[in-house]
Amino acid sequence: MKIKQEIKDGVMVIRLSGKVISGPDLMELKTVFQTAVNNEKGNVLLDLGHVAWMDSSGLGVLVSGHTSLTREGSRMAILNATKKIHELFIITKLITIFETFTDESEALTSLKE
Amino acid sequence: MLKGIILKIPSDDTIVETIQTFVENIGLTAGVAEEDVTSLSIAVMEVVKNAMEHGNGGDPKKLVTIYIDVYSGRLQFIVDDCGTWQPDSELGHEPEEGKALISSRGRGVLIARNLARWLDYGLNPEGKTRATLIWPLT
Repeated sequence: MKIKQEIKDGVMVIRLSGKVISGPDLMELKTVFQTAVNNEKGNVLLDLGHVAWMDSSGLGVLVSGHTSLTREGSRMAILNATKKIHELFIITKLITIFETFTDESEALTSLKE
Repeated sequence: MLKGIILKIPSDDTIVETIQTFVENIGLTAGVAEEDVTSLSIAVMEVVKNAMEHGNGGDPKKLVTIYIDVYSGRLQFIVDDCGTWQPDSELGHEPEEGKALISSRGRGVLIARNLARWLDYGLNPEGKTRATLIWPLT
């Protein structure tokens, strides 16, 4: 898994690629979320457009990040979840808690409000 | 034909990605479509991770044993651990509700069941937990 971060329109954009699965890389993703919470960088847009797959451990880190940010009054939204990742969100019912977007501009407009 | 492959692996989650790649290669060799092999490997590894955690308590000295066989029209994975645990009757059939929905854990069996469509838990001849996952081959 590769992680890239940038600030766009005041929103922290985290772009993931590869497989978001159990292993040392997940610790790095946890740290990225924790930094976003600690630094009060505001809302987070998580771009999953290049994520090949995700397992339950990866989902757990996303849920944990979402919960931490929400607790601090921030929002986390998902951008460009692939069909397979979207199916995972449906299977696990996480689709009911994640805000999802397919257009980055629209997502940024929503999150910078 | 793939028959009689037996893997014995320590309950150490740093090995998960390596085993996942191995399972993907087994799937490709057995004839699983390329676009489905990652789903297969994720399903198998969810079962294996549960065996490591719930069956073996994450103790690296305790092994998880994976038996792999190809039969006519199906690829079968049997996963044995050293415990006697079993999923709750409803676990893995329905997504969690309420507070459990935002738990950071507990989705492995649910994902495996939905991806593989055939996953049963029972006991092996030694009375330890055995998971059987079957992937249809077309």
